[in-house]
Amino acid sequence: MNMKAKSYVLNIAALLIVYIVLSLLISTGTFNSYISGILATTGIAIMMTVSLNLTTGLLGQLALGHAGFMSVGAYVAALITKSLNMNFGFALPVALIAGGLAAALCGLLIGMPALRLKGDYLAIITLGFGEIIRVVIENLSVTGGASGLSRITRMSRAFSEDANVSSAVQFSIIFWMMVVMIASIFTLGRSRHGRAIISIRENEVAAEATGIPTTYYKLFAFTLAAFFAGIAGGLYAHQIGMLSAKTFGFNKSIEYLVMVVLGGMGSITGSIISSAVLVALPEFLRGFSEWRLVIYSLLLILMMLFRPSGLMGTKEFSLLASWTATATTLKRWLGIKKRPTKMPFTPHYDVWEDSVVLETKNLGISFGGLKAAEGIDIQLKNDEIVGLIGPNGAGKTTFFNLLTGVYMPTEGDIILLGKPINGKPTHLITEQGIARTFQNIRLFKSMSVLDNIKVAFHTRMEYSPLSGIVRDSRFSSEEKGIDIRARELLKVFNMEDVADVRADGLPYGQQRKLEICRALACNPKVLLLDEPAAGMNPIETDELMRTIRLIRSRFSVAILLIEHDMKLVMGICERIYVLNYGRVIAQGSPAAIRDNPEVVAAYLGTTEQAQTAEGDLAHAEG
Amino acid sequence: MTLFLNQLINGLHVGSIYALIALGYTMVYGIVRLINFAHGDILMVGAYTAVVLTTMLGLPFPVVVVLVILVCVLFGVLIERIAYKPLRSSPRISSLITAIGVSMLLQNLALLIFTPTPKPYPFSLNIPPLSIGGLQIGFTTVLTIVVSAALMILLQVLVAKSRAGKSMRAVSEDYDAAQLMGINVNTTITFTFAIGCALAGIGSVLYGLAYPTVSPTLGSLPGLKAFIAAVLGGIGIIPGAMLGGLIMGLAESLTKAYISSRLSDAVVYGILIVVLLFKPSGLLGRRTREKV
Repeated sequence: MNMKAKSYVLNIAALLIVYIVLSLLISTGTFNSYISGILATTGIAIMMTVSLNLTTGLLGQLALGHAGFMSVGAYVAALITKSLNMNFGFALPVALIAGGLAAALCGLLIGMPALRLKGDYLAIITLGFGEIIRVVIENLSVTGGASGLSRITRMSRAFSEDANVSSAVQFSIIFWMMVVMIASIFTLGRSRHGRAIISIRENEVAAEATGIPTTYYKLFAFTLAAFFAGIAGGLYAHQIGMLSAKTFGFNKSIEYLVMVVLGGMGSITGSIISSAVLVALPEFLRGFSEWRLVIYSLLLILMMLFRPSGLMGTKEFSLLASWTATATTLKRWLGIKKRPTKMPFTPHYDVWEDSVVLETKNLGISFGGLKAAEGIDIQLKNDEIVGLIGPNGAGKTTFFNLLTGVYMPTEGDIILLGKPINGKPTHLITEQGIARTFQNIRLFKSMSVLDNIKVAFHTRMEYSPLSGIVRDSRFSSEEKGIDIRARELLKVFNMEDVADVRADGLPYGQQRKLEICRALACNPKVLLLDEPAAGMNPIETDELMRTIRLIRSRFSVAILLIEHDMKLVMGICERIYVLNYGRVIAQGSPAAIRDNPEVVAAYLGTTEQAQTAEGDLAHAEG
Repeated sequence: MTLFLNQLINGLHVGSIYALIALGYTMVYGIVRLINFAHGDILMVGAYTAVVLTTMLGLPFPVVVVLVILVCVLFGVLIERIAYKPLRSSPRISSLITAIGVSMLLQNLALLIFTPTPKPYPFSLNIPPLSIGGLQIGFTTVLTIVVSAALMILLQVLVAKSRAGKSMRAVSEDYDAAQLMGINVNTTITFTFAIGCALAGIGSVLYGLAYPTVSPTLGSLPGLKAFIAAVLGGIGIIPGAMLGGLIMGLAESLTKAYISSRLSDAVVYGILIVVLLFKPSGLLGRRTREKV
């Protein structure tokens, strides 16, 4: 048995043992209703924490209104079971799903405007929305207004005459829903969709430039988290039996946020441990009655002071393995035949015959009254290496930002492969064939080198989030194919040995190389390099020159590079454009540019000034 | 019309208190980028200090006010030194959670020492209200508005003109560069906390005069609202906190009078959301864009 299979078996066995032991203890009455209540509360807290970790940990967006989504789910589910006149066993699943969907809808509606904000501002606006949900519920008559809803069917009573048995059923429902939720977030986190979400946390600008539709994925993660919170809310309503909007205020959201941070942001297993401990701890401290909350808050402060990144940091221990195994077994039992796996998925590659790949016509942008770029006409042919030089502040990076849609041009056109692309969002432009690197390296730092590359394959993969969660054949075939492609690409750059190293663990020169490699993985027709040699020593620069030549010979791509290192520019560029004050002042072969008086003037001042400057220099040296 | 004017004055009254507390949030945020969740609870500390000093020691009002301010400053500085300073280089979320922990600790200690039963605020000012053209304005209201306005002007002058104010602005612009220029960053941060808490101490007296019941959770609601006021005006910007506080107070009292008292929170949060959506960095904030 290999290691992988062993860990599947171990995980499933552990889950089953925990489940069987606890449900036996409950159904025989060894655990009284108080303890089984704590277990149920713990399960629900874990669901809330894990789902909040999706937004806060994986997506990296601080949200302070998570309890609002829980309340929407709770009220919707409770209203449904109260009004549906059918067997509780049938009504409950309907109610839970409806509650989840209602919460997801709220998440979508809130996320659309709110997710444009970042950091503390996002936190505050989600806090505001969370409180508004609470006030609205308090003022509606359907929800019982300020007095709330009561006499909701309780799971611990509804399933059997025997309270112990019914409690055991309640425990089973909560336990397995929790397992499914955790496993889904786990597997999703390791699919192309999860990589997209994490890449946003790591570096939003780079994610967009790598072809990730960041707005979509932010909204997706936020909505999914709301959906899970809604389901947890529905379970809560039917565990407690009554609802009051006050329960779901700001403090409740904070409570779950505390659990996420204590467990370690981004660590799902950390979330599980911390919510279990934080729910159980106050109960254990019950003996100290009034001291318990004081102790609790002291522990919280001490914990943060001594382990600021939480219990687990971003580490995990593996449970996802068991999910794959369960899925395969289930399929075998249900007789679902594995679809014949197509040979490893091959991403789609465009072929472009026409020689001009990128063209700008009279391109310009002004910020306020300042014209940062004006009337720029350039042409880039297939397989060409072209340099873009100019003094500091000449508008070189601005030009790159125009090409990649970071800035909207105020005049002129950008034509890529014969089609105009101005005004399109960055990720679509990347998808259509322009990839770039950045002046200050922007890698997905805490992801592995291999995953950095895989993010770039995102747009050319097809499987849905659901495929990613259940890990069907489509998922495995595409992931297998991408894995091979990504490793091949790394091999071209002699980086296959560091595939599993964290990106920020690489030396500087390799980080630059990885960024270029990631850009190439987007399958561009045009590669934009923004000062690739900045900060490199001469040996690294030499290697970079070899790399750029290698790229041109192996990948059919036009390269436009901004660089101040004249040895590099003159050494590898076939043509050079010179920019000054936002305009192209010269273009031509390296030799022609070197001797162009206007270019010399732009770098050293006008001829007279230059002469005086040189004279002064000579004088100073003399 | 009289009703409207009365509500306007009520709004200014509450708003001035929010503004005083909001200044503490905004100054601390401006300098260490921390949402100091425990700031509202300093208000509660101030209120209980007043209760203890009067009922147990029987001190007169002016002495109590001075001592309340001192105790608030002491608490603020201690909290900064013990709980926040060690976390300055950690992820910001860690200090946020610590702040929440400190807030819980203060509330629960108060619960333990003073029990949940509310106590009356030991002072009230029995001075007849001013009448201006048929309008009756309570003395406390006048006092609150005048004191807050004076303090805000004083603070603005302090920050703009004094040496300490310059250090504060420098540290908030760039922590490392300020250090390299020979500014004692630790002293400056402590000083900022001290000023914020002194304002909260005065705020607690004014709040106690307006709402004379003292309970362990007294600080959380005004704290939250003052914090929102700070964000509304543009967090980190001192005039923004004042503007935000006044807007919050006016919105609250006008909604209570003309729409519904139960919806006043919703209106307040609604304003916050609208402002953030259209001007994400607050009313007086400048928009910053990530450089690519």
